[in-house]
Parts: sequence; structure tokens; C-alpha cells
Amino acid sequence: MSSPSSSCSSSSSMPRDKWFNLALRDCPAALENFDIWRKSNLEPLVIDIILIRRALNSDLALEPKSWKIVERWIVQYERHKSSSSKNHKDTRKCGTKNNGGSSCSSETAFYKKTYKRYIILFRSLYVFIRLLPTYKLFHELNSSGQICPLSLSHRISSSIQPFTQEDEAKMNQFTFVPIDTPRGRLSLSVQYLRTLEDIRSEPSAPLSLQFILDYIGSPTTDPFRRLKSLPSAQSSPALVSFTRQHSWSNDHGALASVPLCPSVACSEACGIRCNPSLCLPPLTHRNDHSPPVISEPQNAAVTHKNNMSFDEFWPSPFSPTSSPSSPAHLPGQRSPNALQSGSSQIDIAKAHPITASQTKACSSEGKLQIKMDTLRYGNYQTGPTLVKGFPSGKDDTEKLAELPSSSTQGPLSRSFSGSSLLDKFDDSGFACPFADYKDVTESCNRRSPDAVVGAVVQMLMTAAPLRQDLSNLCRPPQVFMDESLNPCVQHDQANTEQSECPASTSEILASVLLKSKTAAEGLEELRRYKEMKESILKQGASRSSDVDSGPKSAGNNDQS
Amino acid sequence: MNCETCQLKELVVEPPEIREVLRCILHTILFHRALGLVRPKDVECELFDITYVQCEDHELEKKIDEKINQFIGWVEKHPNRKSQVCISFYEVKNKHATWFGNKIERFYWEQWYINLHIISPKPHGKSHNTKAHVVTGENAFEESNSRCAALESSLREVLFQIIKFVNEKKDHIPPLQNSEIVSYPYEISTPSSSDSSFGWHADVLKRMLQTGHPSMLS
Repeated sequence: MSSPSSSCSSSSSMPRDKWFNLALRDCPAALENFDIWRKSNLEPLVIDIILIRRALNSDLALEPKSWKIVERWIVQYERHKSSSSKNHKDTRKCGTKNNGGSSCSSETAFYKKTYKRYIILFRSLYVFIRLLPTYKLFHELNSSGQICPLSLSHRISSSIQPFTQEDEAKMNQFTFVPIDTPRGRLSLSVQYLRTLEDIRSEPSAPLSLQFILDYIGSPTTDPFRRLKSLPSAQSSPALVSFTRQHSWSNDHGALASVPLCPSVACSEACGIRCNPSLCLPPLTHRNDHSPPVISEPQNAAVTHKNNMSFDEFWPSPFSPTSSPSSPAHLPGQRSPNALQSGSSQIDIAKAHPITASQTKACSSEGKLQIKMDTLRYGNYQTGPTLVKGFPSGKDDTEKLAELPSSSTQGPLSRSFSGSSLLDKFDDSGFACPFADYKDVTESCNRRSPDAVVGAVVQMLMTAAPLRQDLSNLCRPPQVFMDESLNPCVQHDQANTEQSECPASTSEILASVLLKSKTAAEGLEELRRYKEMKESILKQGASRSSDVDSGPKSAGNNDQS
Repeated sequence: MNCETCQLKELVVEPPEIREVLRCILHTILFHRALGLVRPKDVECELFDITYVQCEDHELEKKIDEKINQFIGWVEKHPNRKSQVCISFYEVKNKHATWFGNKIERFYWEQWYINLHIISPKPHGKSHNTKAHVVTGENAFEESNSRCAALESSLREVLFQIIKFVNEKKDHIPPLQNSEIVSYPYEISTPSSSDSSFGWHADVLKRMLQTGHPSMLS
């Protein structure tokens, strides 16, 4: 036996490494736990290397969809039937003068020779594996840093299930020269797919690791970087659908170049792009549709419906109700352009910016108007939630509750709607980068629209510099979850007409967001909101009047 | 002792590819003959989509690189030729002491011939002013890619050939005599030193005969 001691690597080697003079460091767990074959050494050991293609399930988890054996290794030890004595004789013959050996018996020489053959066998095996197509794939999967629907696994058995002729035709076979030992013969062979290109060429669904990193608020989450791409909203439709949803990553410009899994895209579409519609803008919106009051809830209803399919793709941590932005998502409402605006940065920007104060008067007004409309005319769901949330507004609520409500709300849409209106309202609060959670909660619990308006005005007055809101456009997910838990308001999705959200809205908003705000602009916004408040207060005074007064006030606000 | 010889499949290479190809082949051969305790090191070729294995040993790596540099230097002087690089494993045996000291004799037991056909890279039009030139350049690029892919495939075949050889030919390997990583003495011969079958000494003798100046030895 060789007993190397002078090699450079011997110092740090493990005892196992010296078995075949191959220092392999740590063995895979599968190897450590592998004990199947030992029980019966005479059975063949069949190791199938399996390529598994997974598909995203509703929980965004990858489920095995199909699999294929890409390599089959067969190790077999055949004991000599009746020739043990013969081999023993051979063993004795093997002693030669070359053994130097004075002290080495012929048997020892034979063992040495056998052992040396094993050493060579395992070296060639080590090299051979790296030349197989599967190794290349294995290497790529390990080094890509992406979640891929392809994965490799193995299966150990003692029976050989023959391949179909078709499969076998695609395979090569290599048989290592068997090694004879005094008691038997060890043979090793492999069948492997000649090429994996046809399998690999199928589209994969790389999900960037940023999915998680961004989510936990890593430093990579740079809102400004995100917003940089805002003006380039007109990306391809495909990219739109491939934007990630819950990572809240700002770096979507880079992501856009990465093809993402459609199913992922779905979930993203839900999470990120909902809010754009939330920003529902304002001016054109109100101008185009006579009853703005209705149009807003309507939007919400449409959003819910559209999002229903997306809900299924939310990962478990995000229950549908916990989606902060989903209620506002209006994919169906938006023009193709709007939908194609694509990069999720935009969506994010549009999703949370809104809050009145922050950015543009028009968008802010619009949103506020919507909120006010919603508060007034409601679509609130009657019941404890409403009472709790808006006790003093009960009259309004009751009145509004008489409005036709959706009877077709499914569980998913219901879950969305449970928070959607609140989202609309609270979203402005929560989305407000410079309004803390407490403020928003307070505003939510106020008892009259006036108080709400007051809270908004207060929020505006205490707002941090407007630029800051850009950095806060993406809020930590827990905020959204909290928000969703607040059951203040629910939508009535029924009997609402779909309102059109102009395609240009996103662009306008995007450009607006990019502009730096000055204190003067902020004051101007504040002034507008004060006017708006007054207008609403007037409406409150004449509350007994019909609900159509709402649009008027909205119109006035627009003009202001 | 018989000497097993393996003639590896000829590879058509351009000069920039020589280093990568030779490293890949030489390290693979030596890994199979490094029967001491070795720590394998995976190396990904820079030019080809191939992973080969080498012993994690700086000295070994250095020695191989030196020989490759030597060969590349020769190729620069002798372009567009078929040439061989040979790696031989041998045993050293002392013969009886003579007047002139101990005589060491080498017994070669294995030789690997790496056959290379070195071609000059096709000039890609340096001027891309005209559309024709651009098209030509594109074609040349595609051709180069295609050739590179073919070389990669051939190189892979050579590696399989090595594996096959080491599996089939084992009986000729002498017993281990040391515990070095590469268990057997070996030499890598390149055209510069192997033009003559007598090796370096023959070269020196030839020079002496040609010039008659002992100073040439320096």
C-alpha cells in the first residue's frame, strides 16, 4: 500500500482521503448517509441521476413536474463463483522481484497492485464525471445563484429498470475496466445522455436572489436607482409581466433584462402593479367619467377581479389580504401602454407614492378625492368593522350600504376587498413616506371625513422633504401586512363600472416623481389640499343632498 | 518492461489555444499518474466549456507551464506545423558503478504523444469600413466560433481517450517507489528538445560538432 506522507496535501487530509490517495474534502451528505448497498454487496448498485423540471405552484414553490434520467451508474461486485482458490493462486503468482521486496509477500504485492488499480479507477472516474453533460448543468445550477426549475437529484436502487429504446438511443455508455480482486470483480459502468441541450433549452424561471434580499430591506434596495428607470416606462410587454412582485426591489432595470417566470410575473403583477391604478389619477379620470364617486370603487372592483387569478401565486407569507397594493391594481383598466409600462419600478412608484402631499398636486388631489369619495359614498361593508372604523359616519355608511353590493365576490376578491378600500385610504397614509404608521392609523380611525381631511392636511404639513418620499416608495412588507389587517373598510365591488385609467397617467406620475420638489411647490400643494378640504366640508354641510355633489367637488378640485 | 504508448488524437489549434489545450491534456494525464495523496482541483478552461482536473500542486503546475512556454516559443519560430508534445514516465535504475561514476538509466514505461496541428489564425479584416468587410468579418467570426467548437469537441474526445487508456492499460505501471504526488518520474518533451531522439545531450554534441566551440555549452 502506498503511504504517502510527503505530498503537500497530506497534512490536511482526512483518514478517508488516504484510502485512495484522493483528498476529496467533505463528502456529500448523500454519501455519508448512504448505507443501502452495504447490506448486500452482491446486488448491483444502480444510481440514477435525475433531472427534475419543476413548475411553480400556487405558493410560488417549485413542484416537480417532470423528470428524466440523465445518467445511470451501475456498480456491481461479482464474487468469483468457484475460483477463489484459483485467484488466491494468482495472487501468489503476483509477487515479483520488483516489489523490492524482501518483506512483501506475493499476496501483498497482489493487493498493492489491485489497490493501485482502484486508485487509478477513481481518478479516472473523478475526471470522467466532469466531462459529462450533466456536470455542466450541475455546475451551472450551483453557480447561477438563481432559482431554476431544473434540479438534479439521484435515486439509488438495486434493480435496473431498462430504458426505452428511444431513451437508450440518446445515451452513450462507458464501461470502466473491471477490477479483479482475490474474491471477485468490481465493475462500474455508466449510461449518460449524450446531450442535455434539448432539456436545457426549455425556458427556465430565474428568480433573482434579490427577491429575498430586497424584501428584507437590504441596502440594495435603492429607491432612486429604481426610479431612475421610471421614464423608461415603455418597456416591452413581456418584461412587464415578468417583473417581480413582492421583492419591492428597486433595481428592476436590471431585472427587466432577466426573463422571469410567467407565473412569478403574475404574482408580481398583482403586488406591484396594483397600486398604479390606485393612483388612479385624478384629473383625466374624473373628467372622463361622470360619477367619479362610483368610478373609484369600481376600479377597486375591477382590480379585485383581475387580481383574483394572481392571488393564487402569492407565497404563503403574503395572504391575499395582506397584499398592500393589490386592491388598486387595475390591469384590466389600463391601456396596453400602461400595462406595458412594465418596469416594476414604475409600478412601485405609482403604487405608493400617491399620497397627496408628496408628489404632484394632480395625482394627490385625485387620490384624495377618491378617498373622500369613497368615504362619503362608501362601499363600506356594514358591520362591526365599519362601526369600529367609522362610528360617527354611520349614517353615511348605512346609506351607502344600501347601494347595490357585489354578491359575486369570491373568497379571494373578498379578502382583497376586505382591505382594499382601506388600502385606498390607508395606502395613501401608509404609502406616504413621511407619515409614520401611527399617523396613518389614527387617520384611519377618525370618525368623520372632516377629521380625515384634517389628518391628511396635518400629514402634509408635517411632511418631510418631498424627495424623501421617493426613497420610501417601497415600504417594508410588514407595513403592508399591518395595513391589510386593518379591517376598516371593504369594497363593494358590485355594480361598478370600469373606469379607464389613462395610459399616460403612469408616465405623468413617473415624470412627476422624478422632479425635485421645492418648498414652494409643497406649500402650493398644501394650499390645494386646504381648498379641497374646504370643499369637502361644504359638501359635508349639505350632506343630505345627493351624492352627485361629489363629482362636482372633485371637478372643482381639479380646476384648483 | 514494455512501454505503452498512447497517440492522442490530433488537434487543430491556433497559437492562442495551445496553452489551454496543453494544460488540459497534460494535467489530465498527470492526474492519472499522480498516485500519491493528491487534492484534486477542478479547472475550467477559459476557452472551452470543459472542466478538467489537476493536482493541487504548485510545483507541478509550474513545471508544466514552463514546458508549455517552451513549446509556444518553438511554435512562434516554426508556425503552421504539425508537432508533438510527449510526456513520458520512466523508472530510474542505477547501473553498476563505473570509472565515470554511477550510471543512471531510464526505463520508459509509458509515453503519451499529444499531436497538435498548429495553424495560423485567419486574418479577420482589420478594416471594417465597407459592408463587404463587415460581412467578411462576420463570416470569419462564425467560422472561428465553429472551429473553436470543433476543437472543444475534439479536446473532449482526447480526454475521454486518456481515460479509456488509463483504464485499459494498468498492468505496465511499475510499483510505487516514492510518496511524491506524481509517483513516477516523468519528462515532457517538446520539439525544441526532442528533435533528436537523443535528447539534450545529443543536441549539445551536435552543436559541439558543428561549431567546435566548447563555449557553446554555456
